[in-house]
This record gives sequence, C-alpha cells and structure tokens, in this order.
Amino acid sequence: MSVKVEASHDGIPHNKVMAMGLILALVSLYIAVAGAFAGYDYLAFFGGIAAVGALIWGNSTIKKLCSYGIGTGVPSAGMLAFGSGVIAMLFAAKLAVISPFLVPIAGLVIALIVGLVLGWISNSVLNMKIPVMTRSIAELAAVGSVALMGLTVVATGHVSFSEITAFNIDILGITVSFYDVSYIGAGIIAVSFMLGAIALQHPFNACLGPGEKQDRTNMLAIECGFLSMIVMAVISFAFVSLVAAWISLVIGLIGWFVSYKKYFALSKRDAAAWLDAKPFSDAEE
Amino acid sequence: MSAIAAKPAGNAGAFQPVASVIAIILAVIFIGVAYLLGNTGILSGGAMAPMMTLVGIIVGAALIAFGVHFVPVGGAPAAMGQSPGIATGVAMLATGAGLAGLFGGAWAASLGFGVALAGGAIGGGLMMAITCLMVNISYVYGMGIPAASGKVAKDPITGDSQAEYKSQGTEGHGLPFISYVGGVIGGLFGGLGGTLIYIQLLNFYNASFAAVGIVGEDAPVLAVGLAGIFAIGMFLVIAVLSAYNITGTIEGPHDPKFKRFPRAIVAAICASGICGLVALLVVAVL
Repeated sequence: MSVKVEASHDGIPHNKVMAMGLILALVSLYIAVAGAFAGYDYLAFFGGIAAVGALIWGNSTIKKLCSYGIGTGVPSAGMLAFGSGVIAMLFAAKLAVISPFLVPIAGLVIALIVGLVLGWISNSVLNMKIPVMTRSIAELAAVGSVALMGLTVVATGHVSFSEITAFNIDILGITVSFYDVSYIGAGIIAVSFMLGAIALQHPFNACLGPGEKQDRTNMLAIECGFLSMIVMAVISFAFVSLVAAWISLVIGLIGWFVSYKKYFALSKRDAAAWLDAKPFSDAEE
Repeated sequence: MSAIAAKPAGNAGAFQPVASVIAIILAVIFIGVAYLLGNTGILSGGAMAPMMTLVGIIVGAALIAFGVHFVPVGGAPAAMGQSPGIATGVAMLATGAGLAGLFGGAWAASLGFGVALAGGAIGGGLMMAITCLMVNISYVYGMGIPAASGKVAKDPITGDSQAEYKSQGTEGHGLPFISYVGGVIGGLFGGLGGTLIYIQLLNFYNASFAAVGIVGEDAPVLAVGLAGIFAIGMFLVIAVLSAYNITGTIEGPHDPKFKRFPRAIVAAICASGICGLVALLVVAVL
C-alpha cells in the first residue's frame, strides 16, 4: 500500500460533499431536461449549474484519491474521468428514445459501472493497492459523465442523442436534419470534453500543498465550472434561441465573477504573512 | 501530488495472476455480449461485424498500452535536469503522440485500411521524434547538460558509456539515444493503436447508421465526429491506465519498469472491452 499524504483536514467530510454535489447536479439536470421536454430552452443554463455541482463532487474525489501518491499527477485523473465519462454519457443520450428523463440517471449508472471496472483494473490488475481507488475511479467516471451532460445541455439545450447528433431546421413545415453542423458532427463535444476535464483536474492541482484549504479548492472548482459554462454559452448561440443563449452567458459571467472574487479573497486569506521589512539601518542611529 | 509525492505505488512489476485471468475472462464476456447483440439484431451488421469491431478495438488498445511503455517520461525532475526523459506526465505525452497519429490516420482513412494505419503510425512516430529532438536541443543547448542514462552503464544501441556524463546525485539527464529511439517506437505503436480503434468504429458506424434512421449525404461526417470522440476517450483511458502501471517516470525500453508492460496490456484489453462495447451500443436499434 502506498503512503497517504494528507493534504488538509476537511471541514466537510467527503461523503457530504459528494451528496451535495450529486443532488445539485441531478436536480439541475432534471430541471433543464424538463424545460427541453416542455419545449422551452430558457432553462438550458441549469446545465451549467449541474456541471458546477458535479465538479465540486469530483474535486473532492480527486483530492481523496490523489492524497495517495499515484505517481502520475493529478491531471491524469481528470483525463480518465472524462475519457470514460464521454463514453457513458453518449450511450445514456441514446436511451432518450425511451424517455429523455432517463438520460441523467442512466448516464450516472452506466458511468458508475464502467468506472467500477476501470477502478478494479487499476487496483487489482495494475496492483495499485490504494484503498479508495475503485470507488474513486467509479465516482470520477460518474462526475465526467454528469459534467459533460451539463455542458451539453448548456450548448444545445438537449441531452438526447437524436438532438445532439442532428441540427434540425424547419423549412416550410418539413424538418430537415443536418448532421455535419451538429454538436457531435462538428466536433464541439471535444471542446466541452477538454473544458470539463481541465475544470475537473485544475482546482486540486493548483491548490495542493501544505496550505491547501477545502473551501478555497472548492471555490476554484466552482470558478472553473462557470468559466467552462461561459464558453459553452457562447457556443450555444449556434444551437438554442437567442434569449436562452444570453441567459446562459449572463448567468455564467455573473457566477464566474462572484466565484472569482471569493476565490481571490480566500487566496489572500491563506497566503503566507509578509513582513514590511526595512533596509539595513546604520549602526550609528 | 504530481511530483512531490510521486512514490511508486504497489509492488513494482509483480504480475497479478488471479486478477489478470479474471480481467481476460471479463474481456471475453464483453466480446461474447457483442456477438449476442449482433446475433439478436440489436447491433446491425450480423453476428460477426460487432464482434470483429470489438476485437479490433481491443487489439488497438493493447498496442497503445504497449507503446506507452516505450515513451521516455521524466516529469518535473527532468525539467530540473535530474532524470532523463521528457519533462511531462505519461498520460499527456502518450495522448499527444496518439492524437497526432489519430489525426494522421483519420486524414488517410479514405485511402484504405493499410494506408490509414501506416499514416497513423507515422503521425505518432513523427510527433514523438520532433518532441524528442526539441527536448534534446533544450537540454543540451539550453541547460548545458549532456544526455546520460542512469539505468544502464552502456547505451544498448550505440554502446556508449554513460557513467562519465552523469552528474552526481542525479538519475541521469537529457534524452540518451536509446530513449530517443524508444520514444519514436512508442509513438509508432500509439498512433497505430489509436488509428485502429478509430477506423474500426468509423466503419461500424458508417455501416450501422442506416439501421437507426440516420441517413443523408452528411451522415459520414457524423460518423467521423462520433468515432473521433470515442477514440479520444478510449485513448485517454488506456493511456492513464498505462501511466498508473508505470507510476511516474520511465526512461525507455531499457528501464526496468518496461518489464511491467504485460500488466498494462491485460488492463487495456479489459478496459477497452467494456468501453468498446458501450461505444458500439450507441448505434443500437432501440
């Protein structure tokens, strides 16, 4: 077993952070999906809130996993999370033919299954012998899947496979589908993939060290989530109605600004104290 | 805890017989599920097409996992000239080589299977060759250090003695010839494996789209996007699992850690089995 290096004593235990992040993410996703189901895309911005919720959860998981020396750095965990998350998320999106309300929960469950297999491989076959490995990788895959669903909702207003693979335009009452300018066909999913993966791995990677504090790391996760949301909101001008895109963009900007200010204040709080040292004074004085 | 607490986890090099056998059995089950789904018509193309696609994906993943072990990775110590290799993590470097190869192979996909695979392998190898060259230029002319391996007394290819050039208190530095060659071989394998996964998925999606009602002149573009994102996702999963196997730094094929590659191949076979199966299910007839 590898040596555990504790980064900080958490004020809020991991399970509580996980529950809060998960509930925030799922509730927001369902609000957004319900909006899309009812025919309004004004609620697409809730996808960004879902991504933020998932990132808070994932950030806590990465912190727990990487407090053991895994030897490959924190960023690899973010890449693994989204690599497995994108596969689970796209399969869950396919299940929207049964019901769009199945997608968020199916994405979570499929990602957990894929993540459990990957975690078991890392721990047993690769002999990592880290007690939290299997659970953490399963959680990370779920985080990747949910965060990606959230960013997808911000960009396109939908989570169903038929909507994210086709750009539908009504011409004289006939719906024409264009596949090459869709969310997947145009490769925009790669943008959300990298935005999410970096937002997931960056906060703990940036804050780790002796002075790491849970609230500051979490605030950076929130900030990174809103930063990703801003980019997806800009992309969403191509897919959703103008009003919905503006709502997403403004909420993303406000969320980012507030969390950035808070993160800045917390960084100042945790910074090492500095002394106003004076130059050498003459011995005669 | 990237570089500070980069301790080798687990027992180095120990092969896990029981877990490995279970992993192989799991992979066989995934292939069997693909066969059954094809047989019952949930996946289009008959019983054999989904199964052969999944087998191709697994072979590609095994090639990636093997190739990653050739790539010389030094991490933060390499940036300070205290260990040989390229100053970044395994996952990042393998992904760079693999994606460069993937783009090369994707560009050549319309020219036939063999040309695409060759294009992918050369793309990955070329990316690694350029990276290794630039790394050595910055080591030699920027940091003023000669390339020296800390793991072997003589370079296995050139036969040059290493100890005279190695600074005291370091693990070696720069990128010795063997590491350079290893990097290029790793790039070739990574690009080849990534392209194989991409082409298998692309052909399967192109063949299946009609069955799920995606038709039109631009449907092949969607197949490219879908196969591309799945190939990238799977590449990252395999690269990170291989990085976990290496735990930190590796100099190249002469490094003792290189002998751990069988574990990574078993892991890649099982991981790509489940990821590939889910990727195939995306075009299932529901």
